[in-house]
Amino acid sequence: MEVKFAVKRYDPITNADKSTQTYTAEVDEGDMVLDALLQIRDEQDPTLAFRGSCRTGFCGDCTMTVNGKGAIACRTKVKKAWDGAEDGAIELEPLKMSRQMKDLVYNAREFHWNKFRAVEPWVDPVQPPEKGEHLVPGGHDKHLTESMRCTQCGLCDQGCTVLVVDKTFVGPAALTKAYRVVADERDSRKRQRLDKLSLPRGMWDCTHCFEASEHCPKYIEPTDRIFDLHDMAIKAEAGPPKVVHHYKSFAASVKAHGWLDEGRLAIETEGFTNVKGLMKLLPLAVKAGLKGKHPMPYMLHKKRPGHEQIKRIFEKWESKG
Amino acid sequence: MPQHDVLVVGGGFAGLRAALGARASGADVGILSKVHPMRSHSSGAHSGINAALKSGDSWETHAKDTIAAGGDLSDRSAVEVMCQSAAEDVVALEHMGVIFNRDEEGRIDVTTFPGSSQARTAFVGDSAGHVILQVLFEQIVRSEIRIYDEWFAASLLMEDGMCKGVIARDLRTGELHPFHSKAVVMATGNLGQMYNGGTCSLTGTGDGVALAYRAGVPLIDMEMVQYHPTTLADRGILITEGVRAEGAHLVNKKGERFMERYDAEAMEMSTRDVVARAAMTEVRKNRGDKGHVFLDMRHLDKARMTARLQETLWLMDDLEGLDPSEALIPVKPGMHRPLGGIKIDTFGDTGTPGLYAAGECASTGAHGANRLGGNSLLDCIVFGRRAGESASRYVRGATWSPATADLVREQEEMLNEVTAKDANSDTAGAIRRDLGEIMDKNVGMVRNLRGLRKAANSVAKLQERFGALGIRDKSGAYNVELRAIREVGNMLDVAQVIIGSAEARQESRGCHFRSDFEARDDENWMKRIVAMHSEDGPKLDYEPVEAG
Repeated sequence: MEVKFAVKRYDPITNADKSTQTYTAEVDEGDMVLDALLQIRDEQDPTLAFRGSCRTGFCGDCTMTVNGKGAIACRTKVKKAWDGAEDGAIELEPLKMSRQMKDLVYNAREFHWNKFRAVEPWVDPVQPPEKGEHLVPGGHDKHLTESMRCTQCGLCDQGCTVLVVDKTFVGPAALTKAYRVVADERDSRKRQRLDKLSLPRGMWDCTHCFEASEHCPKYIEPTDRIFDLHDMAIKAEAGPPKVVHHYKSFAASVKAHGWLDEGRLAIETEGFTNVKGLMKLLPLAVKAGLKGKHPMPYMLHKKRPGHEQIKRIFEKWESKG
Repeated sequence: MPQHDVLVVGGGFAGLRAALGARASGADVGILSKVHPMRSHSSGAHSGINAALKSGDSWETHAKDTIAAGGDLSDRSAVEVMCQSAAEDVVALEHMGVIFNRDEEGRIDVTTFPGSSQARTAFVGDSAGHVILQVLFEQIVRSEIRIYDEWFAASLLMEDGMCKGVIARDLRTGELHPFHSKAVVMATGNLGQMYNGGTCSLTGTGDGVALAYRAGVPLIDMEMVQYHPTTLADRGILITEGVRAEGAHLVNKKGERFMERYDAEAMEMSTRDVVARAAMTEVRKNRGDKGHVFLDMRHLDKARMTARLQETLWLMDDLEGLDPSEALIPVKPGMHRPLGGIKIDTFGDTGTPGLYAAGECASTGAHGANRLGGNSLLDCIVFGRRAGESASRYVRGATWSPATADLVREQEEMLNEVTAKDANSDTAGAIRRDLGEIMDKNVGMVRNLRGLRKAANSVAKLQERFGALGIRDKSGAYNVELRAIREVGNMLDVAQVIIGSAEARQESRGCHFRSDFEARDDENWMKRIVAMHSEDGPKLDYEPVEAG
């Protein structure tokens, strides 16, 4: 099968203008994009730079952009990419979130590994048992073991809609790593970590767009892992008090009435004793009142039809711990 | 100018464990690797790690299994050290944060791998390698060990009979830099890229083995090249022995469980050398299908497969579009792991002051002529730690001066020679592919004198082609052409040693099978082959193995 690749090439010294070069390769039906690139490098152009190591999707090295979308080159069939190619060639570019260093090589250190380090990604055991291993009851957190499938391939970061506008956001890849440590019962710094993750540019900057989960090749669902971190923070009352109050009020309101009481949410988020904060809400309250949207004080808030079923959902979830 | 007490070259299991070992015993450590440590091939290890953790099992039984699987060629003291340390080292991994599958009591669960007489392999689903590598790397970050990732070690700085560091190329800029260190731990892993269709990552080019060899350090057991019985037929991608541990059958095209003919007692749970040769024999006797046999997993419980073999199921689906609960999986044996490498003792000591080694690039002799599944990770962890600790001890007592500027300059000039040469139409990649063909054909699972001589001649011709290579890419940034040239040069040198050692061993034992000497010959061959570099190719010597 003859296919064409359009590679966005770049070299800081000899090709600073970022030209596109087209290669034609004869590949087998079952070949992966990485196989084809290796063939091109060996047979046509030994100067073509790309990363690649394990060939089986375990190391996360060969992540690149294929036809505009992030992909693991060793797990992407050439045939599929060729079928999806526009303009008669499979388009290859480096991962987009970071600087192009050369051809398909992106700057992983600056972007990826620095964020990884920022979440202090290691377990600090409480006190390892004197003899033998920690006892971890069977069926320990399924999500914890699954999150360890993460290869740090960077595809979730590539999909992230926050990183596009704010590169200083810690991002879903590092937060998935953070989850792996926070969720580990053997770690002794859970509270401290949750506080740190609650700093600006941390986990609360996630906008829940689910792109990270859509992009993860190992089905770890990074977006859900970020939710889990939020959940753990609320339970531990870690993080910014307003956020904690906001979450708790949100849940309490829906649990009690079946719908969201925005007046209550606003007041409880600021806190009853926070006079200054409450004063700031006044103009908004007045405006809402003028437009006929004034929320009823929540003692008078009517319950939604079917609220009891909603309450049961909450109770079922709470009983799970 | 980078300077560390201990410089570890390689960032897989052995390298990271060595670095942690050296750091824990007080040394200042740096890790240099041509890929980021998390991209190391250790991440592709699916199986698990052996340790006698359960009552009823003992390190002695583990040792017995190891020696039996290794065709009795194992170095007894190395086996002893490895099996005796196993439980403690595995528990240490757990303390660092490795999850491991658990039993009902919450303790580390174990499963029975082919060739083991007991349930002894601790595992993490089918991604033990990936998880252990991840946790070791977490500890490296925690220990604030400096990492030089995407640096390529190009030569050893040898002076006054000592190893005083390495010269490495920064792949980002293309610049050469000397790394002065009191001790170097070589942990560069596999050399499988000199075979086509092996299970090895693209990084496995035998760099550390070649560097040590050229510096005059002895290699050992180089004829022992282990084939894994089951790799995906089209692509040589590893299918873990875990599937047979879960009860998968091997069948030929007639649907017969052919292991009956080769090891009726153990069947699919026999050792790797036996199963791999059985699969090959079936193909040769026309009972295979287009050069392969099949794994039959259709009778296995689906839920259990998903729980224990999830990554393998994804691999089969992504790469071959196959669902093992419905279809037979075409597999064939593929080159998996060299058992030989830089000769070390159980302290990782190469005998050259300042040079230590561990992992797949080295050999203590623990695996003899065939390695037991689950012993490779263990080897890396135990001997990695010990190499790091020994190097740390050594630097405390070492009187040391950095390599002289003259030596550094001379080496750098030698390493830069190729950059001045203009390219012909040949490429390093083309030479590597041709080398792979030769090795697959003549230095694979079945060897004989004619084939080995032919291979030696062909490799000599490839050496000439290698010598004529020049450079197209004149840029320093990520010059993959330059890296590929260094790598293929390393592989050619090491291939010569494998071929020479395989020719010398005139018997069949474990994974070394000679069709012109089919029998095992204990009278003449209870010895290991040591190879030293010389102007006229590898010079061989022999080291007896104590039986018992």
